[in-house]
Amino acid sequence: MNKTMVRRSNRNKFIIMAVLVVLAAVAYMTVGVRFGNEKLVRYAMKIRTPKLIVMLITAFAIGGASIVFQSIINNRIVTPCLLGMNALYTLIHTIVYFFAGAASIFVRNANAAFVMDLVLMGVVATVIYSYLFKKTKHNVLYVLLIGTVLTSFFSSIQTTLTRVMDPNEYDTLLATLVASFSNINSEIIVLSVIVLAIVIFVLRRELALLDVLTLGKDQAINLGVDYDKCIRRLLLGVTLCIAVATAMVGPISFLGLIIANLARQLFKTYRHSELIAGSTLFGMIVLVAGQLIVEQVFSYTIPISVFISLGGGIYFLYLLLTNRRV
Amino acid sequence: MITVTLACCLAIVSVISIFVGVIDLDIPSLLSGDMEQLEILLISRLPRLLAILCTGVGMSVAGLIMQQLCMNKFVSPTTGATISSAQFGILLALLFMPSSTIWGRAAFAFVTATLGTWIFVWFIQRIQFKDTVMVPLVGIMFGNVINGITNYFAYKYEMTQALSTWLVGHFSMVLRGRYELVYLVVPLVILAFAFANHFNIVGMGKDFSKNLGVHYNFVLFMGLTIAALITASVVVVVGSISYIGLIVPNLVAMFKGDKIRGTLVDTALFGALFVLVCDVIGRVVIAPYELPIELIVGILGSLLFIGLLIYRLNHGRKAVQLSGMRRRDAVNGEARR
Amino acid sequence: MFVKELTKKYDGKTVVDGVSFEIPKGKVTSLIGPNGAGKSTVMGMISRLIARDSGLVDFEHQDISKWKSKELAKRLAILTQQNNVQMKLTVRELVSFGRFPYSGNHLTQEDEDVIDRAIAYMELQEFEDRFIDELSGGQRQRAYIAMVIAQDTEFILLDEPTNNLDIYHATNMMKIVRRLCDELGKTVILVLHEINYAAFYSDYICAFADGKIAKFGTVEEVINKETLSAIYHVEFEIMQIQGKPLSIYY
Repeated sequence: MNKTMVRRSNRNKFIIMAVLVVLAAVAYMTVGVRFGNEKLVRYAMKIRTPKLIVMLITAFAIGGASIVFQSIINNRIVTPCLLGMNALYTLIHTIVYFFAGAASIFVRNANAAFVMDLVLMGVVATVIYSYLFKKTKHNVLYVLLIGTVLTSFFSSIQTTLTRVMDPNEYDTLLATLVASFSNINSEIIVLSVIVLAIVIFVLRRELALLDVLTLGKDQAINLGVDYDKCIRRLLLGVTLCIAVATAMVGPISFLGLIIANLARQLFKTYRHSELIAGSTLFGMIVLVAGQLIVEQVFSYTIPISVFISLGGGIYFLYLLLTNRRV
Repeated sequence: MITVTLACCLAIVSVISIFVGVIDLDIPSLLSGDMEQLEILLISRLPRLLAILCTGVGMSVAGLIMQQLCMNKFVSPTTGATISSAQFGILLALLFMPSSTIWGRAAFAFVTATLGTWIFVWFIQRIQFKDTVMVPLVGIMFGNVINGITNYFAYKYEMTQALSTWLVGHFSMVLRGRYELVYLVVPLVILAFAFANHFNIVGMGKDFSKNLGVHYNFVLFMGLTIAALITASVVVVVGSISYIGLIVPNLVAMFKGDKIRGTLVDTALFGALFVLVCDVIGRVVIAPYELPIELIVGILGSLLFIGLLIYRLNHGRKAVQLSGMRRRDAVNGEARR
Repeated sequence: MFVKELTKKYDGKTVVDGVSFEIPKGKVTSLIGPNGAGKSTVMGMISRLIARDSGLVDFEHQDISKWKSKELAKRLAILTQQNNVQMKLTVRELVSFGRFPYSGNHLTQEDEDVIDRAIAYMELQEFEDRFIDELSGGQRQRAYIAMVIAQDTEFILLDEPTNNLDIYHATNMMKIVRRLCDELGKTVILVLHEINYAAFYSDYICAFADGKIAKFGTVEEVINKETLSAIYHVEFEIMQIQGKPLSIYY
């Protein structure tokens, strides 16, 4: 296929996907709403708008982070959710509860809790993963494997803490930990947008290098990229994005894998601006449509994360069998 | 020498472990035939000790077999989807035969664990891996897939609570009459010992074993089945216990090399010792309550494993050859061809 | 460009041991030697891909580690064997990356012209819009060379460019190397496994053995019975073909 044709067909695909996102969003906002009653309509909007926004932000955070992460590692079947961020987040959240107590501001005020979680998460993640990078001599695959091990390390500590916790505190903790798109605080949305914007701004130079990084380490250095530093900074950005997403909706491990690969399959390109946009759009469709189905068909009995890991799992096996070289 | 030391340590810690618990046991009253104390010993403490020993021996031997067969130091019941498959089996048993006994659940777990492990190995044999570290990563993702299916059914039929018992391994429910299944580990380990050399040969590859007249596929799948059965028996009785199958064989191999015959006994002893020590810690830390063994192993084990990984990465040549190392050397330069 | 007392150790084992030599400008220099002799490691160190333990790599009167990576990328290009791109990347897009050190992601008209010339030079016009992963090994190698040409550097370092190529493509690759030097005036440094390619197509040869330089000199000085036998520990016969010394080993 000719290059300009690819460009043009990619643009068409973007338009179609954007339309699909809008359709899904409209459907999500309107299905099941009784339009005769103004009060009910307003109530439904009040409940659904923040959820919708959170889903869109999550799609961007996870979609972007996954594409960047896969390009850094030069491997399409991994997802940054394996790094152990989810478990670290849960652990930090629990620790704050454990030491601050249920009466403190970090527990009662969702914003304060979010900021506290993010700050701690940023610091701890930076320290741990920088250290790991140094120790493994920038071998990202080893960092990934250690990340999966850290997952069980963090969650073991977390479970241990909950076992020695006051049962009442444990109940309130559990309520804030269970991942869902319900009871979203709209101020958290603002905060997370700010955090994401800062991450993108700080990393603007490294993000521009992504296309070159996919040529591999040797080629990137040959073309004048400060490889190790660049990778380290990008990885920390990925970490923060995943942290934001986790803080908002809890762990959705296979989402990144699905949407990043769908985007790569659909937009046969190396351009990361297009890939990230595509994967974000896919994420939005999957999340919004998925949540719509969960709410309307299954009436909340099965959380969306279960569906995503099921579908993602099958897709993952398909990828394994078709790629043959990973 | 190492073997004797390990055996002695194991014996000492075993004795200590018997006397750790909510109700104090003391030797004089035991000897004088105090019925109450004897009862605690026989109904609770001794079964627990035996279950721990079987678990430690079983899980580490299962890990060793899987590592040998797949020629990859990072494969284990945790990273090879065996544990999650066994959990899936238990869920199926709870679904279709709600009144099933422990043996019924075990039957389900045996089948699914074996199938899961087979499928995983079938998968990794069809794929060409650029780096050995990818194999456990694929295994972990594979396990996540199976967990996803398990979760789906658990949510659908509202069984998450019932299933949670098997998600975090613990010994506190080990009492007389409820744990005997774990003894299945003993004949299986003996079987593994008998076939140790075959596993070694199969680990060298298909052509290599054909050349030596060993039936590759048969031995491979038999070995995997043994590992899966051992794992399933442990999971059914005490729940999931990760990392032992991963760490213990690796630690032992660092000192004793990779010849399976030579390391099997040490691996078994060290595995038992490791689990026992973790269990004693779990019982002491927040006494009179106890922490599930899975948590202690999760904390200690993951730290140990990370240390091990970094050690291997930095001392590639001196430590036992890890196939992952070859790639690093290749990247570094001369060992390319 | 010269190196002085270059040393590299892996896990306590010295792989490169006090290597010093100067690279003649505008010539083709080949690094040869048995496996593990240290030639690829030396190549890695003079191209800043591998950190050295001690010694000096002087590039244009300045230590190579003191160069800004981006500036160096305009003066020196390295092509290693590990080029497995998983991306959907066309030949032209790959060659365009050669202009990255100059213009980043935004190509100027001048860059486009350089890219056109590089593609034409490697006779890749008809493959321009094909994806890299659909090409044969020889074509892919040519695409990478085109990228290096687009990078427009004075020095070109190639790590085993003939590896994994059949005789036809490998010989073509060596002819290209010769042309890079003769027609474009580049200084080319190669790591080669095949002695006769080195003998036939280079000006200078640097022979390694056990992490040290066994012999550095013109082709005639290195390709002779005594030197080669001492390095490779097998018997050699030398023949003259087209005025070049070619070796037969048995």
